[in-house]
Amino acid sequence: MKNKHLCIISFLIFVLLTGCSKKELKVPLEDVGMVDSMAFDYIDENQMRLTVAIPQYSPDAEKDTQTFSITTDLVSSGIVEIEKQSDKKIVFNQLRVVLVNEDFARKGNVRKIVQHLYRNAEVGNKVLIAVVKDNAEAILKGDYPDKPSINFYLNNLLEPSINTAFNPNTNIHDFMYSITNPVVDTVLPYVEKRGEKLEIKGVAIFKGNHMHEVIKPEEALVIQALSGQKNLAPLHLDINAGRGEEKVMIDLIESSVKKESNKNMESPKLTIFLKIKGTLSEYKGEREAHLFTAERISDLEKDVNKQLEQDISEFLARLNKTEVDPAGLSEEFRMYHHGKWTSKKTRELIRKLDVNVHVETSIISTGTLK
Amino acid sequence: MNEIPEQIVAKLKQEINEVDDVKLKMIATEEGDVTVIYFSSLIEKMTLQTMVTIPLANNLKQIHQMAQYLDPKDVKGVVKKLNAGQTLLFFHETNALLSVDTYSAPTRAITDTETESTVIGPQDAFTESLETNISLVRRRIQSSMLKNENRIVGSEANIKISIMYMDNIVSHENLDDLRNRIDQVDYPLFTDISVLKQLIEDNPLSPFPQYYMTVRPDSICRYLLDGRIVVFMDNSQLAIVCPTSFFEMFVSIEDYYNRWTTASLLRMLRFFGFFLTIMITPMYISALTFHPEILPYELLLNLQESRSKVPFPPLIEVLFIELIIEVLREAGSRMPAKVGQTIGIVGGIVIGTAAVEAGLLSNILIVLVATSALLSFLPPIFLMSNTSRFIRYIFILSAGLFGLFGQMLAFAWLIHHLLSLKSLGTHYMTPAIPRKPNDLLDSVIRFPTKYIRSKTGISKVQKK
Amino acid sequence: MNTTKGKVLNRYHVIFLAQSIMIGTGILSLPQKLSPMGYTQSFMPLLFGVIASLTLFAMVWLCSKFPNDDLFRMNEILLGKWLGKFINLLVIIQFIVFSAGIISNYMHLIQSTALQEQTITMPVLCFLLLLIYIVSGGIKSIARFCIMTFFITIGLFYFTRWAIEKGDPSHFLPLFNFTPKEFYEALKQGYFSILGYELILFYFPYIIDQKKAFRHSLIGIWISIFLCFITTAISVMYYSEWQLKNVEFSVLNLFKAGEFTFIERIDIIGITLWVFLILSSITAYVWCAKRGMDTFLKKKKQSYQLYIIALIIFFIVKMPFSREFQEKLFMASNYVGYVLVSWPVFLILIYVIRKKQVQV
Repeated sequence: MKNKHLCIISFLIFVLLTGCSKKELKVPLEDVGMVDSMAFDYIDENQMRLTVAIPQYSPDAEKDTQTFSITTDLVSSGIVEIEKQSDKKIVFNQLRVVLVNEDFARKGNVRKIVQHLYRNAEVGNKVLIAVVKDNAEAILKGDYPDKPSINFYLNNLLEPSINTAFNPNTNIHDFMYSITNPVVDTVLPYVEKRGEKLEIKGVAIFKGNHMHEVIKPEEALVIQALSGQKNLAPLHLDINAGRGEEKVMIDLIESSVKKESNKNMESPKLTIFLKIKGTLSEYKGEREAHLFTAERISDLEKDVNKQLEQDISEFLARLNKTEVDPAGLSEEFRMYHHGKWTSKKTRELIRKLDVNVHVETSIISTGTLK
Repeated sequence: MNEIPEQIVAKLKQEINEVDDVKLKMIATEEGDVTVIYFSSLIEKMTLQTMVTIPLANNLKQIHQMAQYLDPKDVKGVVKKLNAGQTLLFFHETNALLSVDTYSAPTRAITDTETESTVIGPQDAFTESLETNISLVRRRIQSSMLKNENRIVGSEANIKISIMYMDNIVSHENLDDLRNRIDQVDYPLFTDISVLKQLIEDNPLSPFPQYYMTVRPDSICRYLLDGRIVVFMDNSQLAIVCPTSFFEMFVSIEDYYNRWTTASLLRMLRFFGFFLTIMITPMYISALTFHPEILPYELLLNLQESRSKVPFPPLIEVLFIELIIEVLREAGSRMPAKVGQTIGIVGGIVIGTAAVEAGLLSNILIVLVATSALLSFLPPIFLMSNTSRFIRYIFILSAGLFGLFGQMLAFAWLIHHLLSLKSLGTHYMTPAIPRKPNDLLDSVIRFPTKYIRSKTGISKVQKK
Repeated sequence: MNTTKGKVLNRYHVIFLAQSIMIGTGILSLPQKLSPMGYTQSFMPLLFGVIASLTLFAMVWLCSKFPNDDLFRMNEILLGKWLGKFINLLVIIQFIVFSAGIISNYMHLIQSTALQEQTITMPVLCFLLLLIYIVSGGIKSIARFCIMTFFITIGLFYFTRWAIEKGDPSHFLPLFNFTPKEFYEALKQGYFSILGYELILFYFPYIIDQKKAFRHSLIGIWISIFLCFITTAISVMYYSEWQLKNVEFSVLNLFKAGEFTFIERIDIIGITLWVFLILSSITAYVWCAKRGMDTFLKKKKQSYQLYIIALIIFFIVKMPFSREFQEKLFMASNYVGYVLVSWPVFLILIYVIRKKQVQV
């Protein structure tokens, strides 16, 4: 009996209340413009130039991407302006890449933009962020005849791949994490347009909210290694070990890092043990003809160790001077510190930090030939 | 006792007036005149001769030994016996009314089943004759503990049913419950036992069948020895088993003949197939209408392209093609075999392809709907696959209303409904909330046969 | 099929009832509520578990003195008829407002993430209809629903595996890095994420094995506490302190980190599956409110109370009051929930005093 009552009542409610609720028309899938890449350019203090790229699925269209650009001060009002120009409703469901102009980054506005996207529930976590030299709009609107579309190109370029392992592959979550964490400084890949191709030139390091400098891929690899990434890119070394110029290329298979701090805030000392395993893929230099026996290889390993230690120490000494901590070294000290940790403490720490690096290389094989 | 014989015969004639099937014959025998009354449509000529005519002529003692003595005053009872195919012998001299059981209506031979066929295992199936069915069971379980209670149901039609159970295993509470329910049923005619089933079920409003129905004797015997109660009906090929549980709806008797790995795989396939079939097409609707961000990027571009040609929103599209498939199924099952095949192929392939070309449907959707239609045929019980067809519409509508949220609400409703269903007093979802841990050995995954010894908890077997 | 006075809950029902009622919307924003403590919040759920066990002990002790009465009857017996009825009325109102708060919270969450551009009237209606259907089956059907919910939603924990991969266990140190003020803040805000076990005061008469009820409920509570603990631990590993403080619904963001090749946004599936957990919590509260109304109105027709309660909830959720007022109302009901948890201690004192009076 109860079920019968329930059914009748629910039926009546459904029928009667559909008049009361106001439902906005659901925009079906084909009338929705899914933004794939966004670019922000710096114009002046209040204004920025926002560009969006929407892939075009219809095979009748000439170009396979639609781009729209407007100048605005707030991101959302910019989107509304763009919708005036586009025939489709703009949604951010499939956003993949966000490009930021270098000026924009240096002025410290990136955090606001990314925070806005972070707040938006539509945006997923796979969004990759990159800093661009010169004009981001030009990159999106550029012509890349041999690539399917700018969206795919950018996405594939910035995604993690073994040869660009120095690329930190920062997505929105990583960015928000590092920019709000007093321990770590943000790193973003730095992209430059050369003719018809895009290239990841290096890595941009932030100090606080502002972009600070650009470093070369080799040094960026050090950052990745120190933060514990397992698969690193092929390592290219110039060894000056008394046997003239030698160039070594090691394909790294695995790397592990262990950090030990002396827990002292006054004179901080950090010991880093870096173990890398790899295969020797190419060697150019004096010893070329002699690398057959295991002894010789272990000699080479020792030289590689020394060289790496030197390189890393140099890089860290630079960090000392500039007081940035992209690899999160101060985390080792925060773990043993009671009380609140602020970014000021990080800067102080990095300035005083004394690092001792020990590298242990083991070359597993030299390929299929000897 | 001293009524005039003609009066008795006259009363009988009144009852069976205008029934041209009934034959009345006067035969003169050693003991005087005998009126023989019988239904010619229920009795074969050979049987009549061997059992009645010849003994009447030669060997009256045989008749007196074999026949049953009836009370002539109980006209209704006598007519019932006549209707049941017995021959009435009225001895004028002694005023004795005897009846000889000569029921021998033509029955179908035992064939194999079309609806529940298996590759290995016995192939015989029940027929419409109650006696044949009972004999198919008795030859498998040759034990005197296999009890058999006959009832008559149907106030107008007087159909025989038979309740069978193993007396030393079954729970007598369940038995009494079932007997009560059957006795309370008041219905004129039962064309099939499924009509009776709907009247004695716990919850007739639910879309799910609460008793198991099958045409295979080996299934029935397995359930009998598990402590269940089986009901047969004359003129009905199916037999019902009670109580039963939700998971048994996905069990086919072939699972026990296959090895446990294959059996477990197939059972899991059926089980998850049931849930997939009610979730796939609603997922399509909710992903396209409400949550496009669920789908991966490349698939989304494909979908956009194929959907740009379709003028309808996804909900209408899905309803449209589901209805087309239902129509094909229904029409195909009614058509004679020769015509049916061609139309089926024409309908399926041509309509499908042409619809996509014309831009009425998107091709991804056709793949999904065809898959879910195939999956809906997985449960071995026909009633269950019909249920999944119905439930799928509920899910489609709720997905069209609220997207994934609506689907989950419908899923919660489904779970709650299943949890509150009872089959002869025991819960429908029993192995999920097991009464005994050993139940799990035979639910979704079937463990090797030597571990399945104990009876399932649902039958509440008697403790030894 | 309405509630019977017979004993129907066996031990699995008790365990999972206690477990499911506690996990509702609370766990979604648990890391955010505990954020005043920063990184060291991960052991807070364990502390909550200890507090819950102690208060549970008080409750079960009190209930075992009145094996056939629920809290409403106990109030009347111990405090006198009028005061008891007044307290019961407050309790009923508290439950209704609490349920409305949970529903409103969840619906806004759904609206902002899964179902954009739609008013929440219709979803709330359908939700309430389903609620009525489940509650009308009595406490046993609620318990069975809770058991199924547990098994269906436990699979969601697998989706946090990507967050664990990306997380940094070094966040756990240093331990005990908090001030008493932060501790108090976190305790105050975080505890009502795990409220719910106090409903044993109401379904105690239905438990078959009342001697072991304490043990079983304790198992249920510690299962929930364990799940909360895992959640906070993973959140601490994955987020920075600022994110812990500012990201509402941190658990859903954990799901966002997950990627399959054929489904992108798992958090949407996570949110919609969450409706099971919400249902399992709210059905119990509404059932208790209905039982409370039963004691007030001695009518034979028991079905109408349910519809009245549902209507009231609907109006509270859809009320045209300002959002600020609604939030204040729900916060107040949360605090009243604390009072309810410590109420048995108060009643025990009265009981002991009364016994002494009788003896003397």
